[in-house]
Amino acid sequence: MMRKPMRVDDILNNDVWDVDYEPHIRVDATKCRECDEKPCLLLCPAQCYTLVGNEVLFSYEGCLECGTCRLICPHDAVHWDYPVSGRGIHFRFS
Amino acid sequence: MKEVGYKFDVIVVGAGPAGSAAAYTLAKKGFKVLLVERGRMPGTKNVFGGRVYADPLRDVFDGFDDSAPIHRWVTKERISMVSGEAMTSFEFHTRKKTSFTTYLTELSCWMAKRVEEAGGTVLTEITVDELVVENGRVTGIRVGDEKVSSEVVIDAEGINRLLLERAGLVPKLELRHAGLGVKEVIKLSKKEIEDLFGLEEGEGLAWLMMGEVTGGLPGGAFLYTNRDSVSLGLVVMLGEAVKGVREHISRYVEALRLHPLLERYFRNGRIMEYSAHLVPEYTWPSLPHRLYADGLLVAGDAAGLLLNLGYNFRGVDYAAYSGYLAAKAVEKAHEMGGMTSENLSVYERLLEESFIMKQLRKFRNASKMRENGRLYSTYPEVLNSVMDQLFHSPYEVPKIMEAFKRARKGRIGWLDLIRDLLGMVRSI
Amino acid sequence: MLKMVVGIKWVPNTTSVNIDPKTGTLIREGIPSVVNPHDLEAVEMALRLKDEYGGKVTVITMSPPSAIAGLEHVLGMGADKAILVSDRAFAGADTLATSYVLAKVIDRLDYDLIIFGQETIDSSTAHVGAQVASWLDLPYVYYVTHAELRGGKLVVRRSLENAHETYELDLPALISVAMHSLNPRRVKVSNKLRVKLENPVKTWSNKLLGLDPECIGLRGSPTALSKIEMVPKVPRKNEIFRGDAREAAKWLLEKLRGEGLLELG
Ligand SMILES: Cc1cc2nc3c(=O)[nH]c(=O)nc-3n(C[C@H](O)[C@H](O)[C@H](O)COP(=O)(O)OP(=O)(O)OC[C@H]3O[C@@H](n4cnc5c(N)ncnc54)[C@H](O)[C@@H]3O)c2cc1C
Ligand SMILES: Cc1cc2nc3c(=O)[nH]c(=O)nc-3n(C[C@H](O)[C@H](O)[C@H](O)COP(=O)(O)OP(=O)(O)OC[C@H]3O[C@@H](n4cnc5c(N)ncnc54)[C@H](O)[C@@H]3O)c2cc1C
Ligand code: SF4
Ligand code: SF4
Repeated sequence: MMRKPMRVDDILNNDVWDVDYEPHIRVDATKCRECDEKPCLLLCPAQCYTLVGNEVLFSYEGCLECGTCRLICPHDAVHWDYPVSGRGIHFRFS
Repeated sequence: MKEVGYKFDVIVVGAGPAGSAAAYTLAKKGFKVLLVERGRMPGTKNVFGGRVYADPLRDVFDGFDDSAPIHRWVTKERISMVSGEAMTSFEFHTRKKTSFTTYLTELSCWMAKRVEEAGGTVLTEITVDELVVENGRVTGIRVGDEKVSSEVVIDAEGINRLLLERAGLVPKLELRHAGLGVKEVIKLSKKEIEDLFGLEEGEGLAWLMMGEVTGGLPGGAFLYTNRDSVSLGLVVMLGEAVKGVREHISRYVEALRLHPLLERYFRNGRIMEYSAHLVPEYTWPSLPHRLYADGLLVAGDAAGLLLNLGYNFRGVDYAAYSGYLAAKAVEKAHEMGGMTSENLSVYERLLEESFIMKQLRKFRNASKMRENGRLYSTYPEVLNSVMDQLFHSPYEVPKIMEAFKRARKGRIGWLDLIRDLLGMVRSI
Repeated sequence: MLKMVVGIKWVPNTTSVNIDPKTGTLIREGIPSVVNPHDLEAVEMALRLKDEYGGKVTVITMSPPSAIAGLEHVLGMGADKAILVSDRAFAGADTLATSYVLAKVIDRLDYDLIIFGQETIDSSTAHVGAQVASWLDLPYVYYVTHAELRGGKLVVRRSLENAHETYELDLPALISVAMHSLNPRRVKVSNKLRVKLENPVKTWSNKLLGLDPECIGLRGSPTALSKIEMVPKVPRKNEIFRGDAREAAKWLLEKLRGEGLLELG
């Protein structure tokens, strides 16, 4: 099991979230369309940003709340905040 | 905005090491303290590598040795230079107990419990939206449409420091000043850990790796042994990673787990958690920005007070100690008559006089050195090539200098080598 | 002025339970508990009714003391009082014994309306609401998406797949809220402060309730579990087809047929 590559989803599956009802991060898709670099695709550790066709699809549910996408986005497309009411990622062994 | 019916002497934002240390110190002195944390419990949002220096925490928390969640005392240090399927390691083994491994999630929870025991109020599940600034003075915090007031706010919100940014007190963090840490915590039994890493019960290993372990990105990899798990991960400099990243960042951690020389350690394990967090990537010639204002002090990662030497992180103890000094500054300002910027400025003096600023100043060039790409490819290659020639030449073994010359050739010129060496010796 | 009682259950966050690849068993280590998410919607409905008509919301849970964190969460949302019903004697209860205790607790409270969640994420029987209603002999509507007061009666809507049903209930009554019909509100700092500084959580044990040991806990639980079979984990596949939509549809059809998922002629 541990000797083979795993899907990112399967690695993430070991984590615990209490997903917030509203997304805590919003991404301006129009800016993504103009974005050549798209560093979020490779550097978001939870792979919340994926490419579907030519569109960058963002889903907040698996977010680890690290803040990387906020810093690396060259076009200020990421409207970033924390979840509320204790929701979001729940680290236990880090 | 509605004012709630309770008022505090001090509000501390963030129950990480910095916030809890500040809140604990003040609660113990009888201040009415509110510690606010956005996580469901203190610690649930916190991530680090794995090792904490104990003495600064002993200075802050009474009875530290009685109940702190210490997994293993780090008695073994290993530093490895990795290239291809080879690594050269330095190892230091002792029996001294200076630093220990733990989970930051657990340690933060422990610290916040001490705050409650000392009489502080700890609120979880509360995400602070804003510092309330009135007439140039911080007078409290805003959560939703409600305000809680205090004489002073200690901001210990960690590296993303949204509140400071929203209040216009700091600019957005620059890419080159942040590192991205990603890690897997892998479950193994106690015995497996002790057998695999040559440790006795209670002993731990801190293993730092440089070279191909970060896929050519400036940064480093780490492995810490916990009680019955290992923390395996890496930190890459974001400014460089944006340009150089080739595949999904989780693949870099996976490559570590599957590395032919490392895979043997994790074979029988299973991943318990996958986490990520940013880390300050700078050491300062002076304070990064002003850490006090009317009614406000800033401590820990939010203040950029972390010593990152590449081969060692001092974040938790620095954060806790800066929180402690912020508390001392509040005490002094109280004696002087109030939480004005002038009275609170004593905080910077306390920082300057402490080991924190002395160390940060001493190592101010360490991060510049770590931007040097040769550290991550050329030097591990040269070193491993020398070792390879020395130990894997079946008949004719070269002299060390000879091996070195051959290894160096085409990889690095003498001038760069000398410059790098001097730079390295000077900065760390 | 509506006096409301809401039942919540403290459950392991089962959205995150994983299987140990070595042993094939569930990994429970370190799985934190949460308030059953559908029960947060029950609390939300109560709070909306309170906002609209005024009133008091009392939240109850039968659980070990760790559930206090969950009660504090819903007090943070704005509930007025919370009761932890906790005793070793209640352990091992099935839905019947659970509902019996809850009914006896509610019986001691002054109430107009009882609100439960649709079901729990850890057992999902959806028994407890109906059972409490029958113990207390109350009108009961399940799967409620909206409630309001009209002329002293409670008017509730059930949204079914193909119809909206409206019921008019005499109070007191019991309703269960349909899942995903309401977004629970954010925890407020003033409420959380009240929780910490005034401690509104009360604990009721069987010393206070004095219930017959034959009717509670394991002994009061007639349900017998004969066997649990785990459903084998099916590896997920994904394939992306790029190109013409018409071709893609054909391709998809072929794929599904190949997998035996479609039996079209
Ligand atoms: C990958 C990695 C490896 C590291 N390795 C080590 C190591 O081995 N040893 C070491 O000593 N240090 C290490 N560090 C550094 C160390 O983790 C940090 O320096 C330290 O945790 C900083 O403490 P802090 O209290 O300032 O901030 P944090 O620990 O980040 O705590 C901030 C707290 O504030 C809360 N918060 C933030 N915003 C809000 C808000 N708006 N409202 C309410 N609450 C809020 C957060 O939830 C969090 O609990 C590492 C860091 C990383 C990322
Ligand atoms: C054979 C059997 C044996 C069991 N043994 C045990 C055992 O040993 N230990 C154990 O902990 N559990 C045990 N359980 C589980 C326990 O009986 C049920 O979880 C419990 O009765 C609630 O049922 P449910 O989760 O299906 O709730 P549902 O009927 O699906 O819940 C509907 C609504 O009722 C309310 N509600 C449910 N439970 C509570 C509660 N406890 N307090 C307040 N409100 C509530 C909530 O609003 C919820 O949304 C057992 C169940 C069975 C069938
Ligand atoms: S980097 Fe920013 S603009 Fe570019 S794709 Fe990602 S989120 Fe969109
Ligand atoms: S905060 Fe981190 S984990 Fe969350 S979306 Fe951004 S990069 Fe991904």
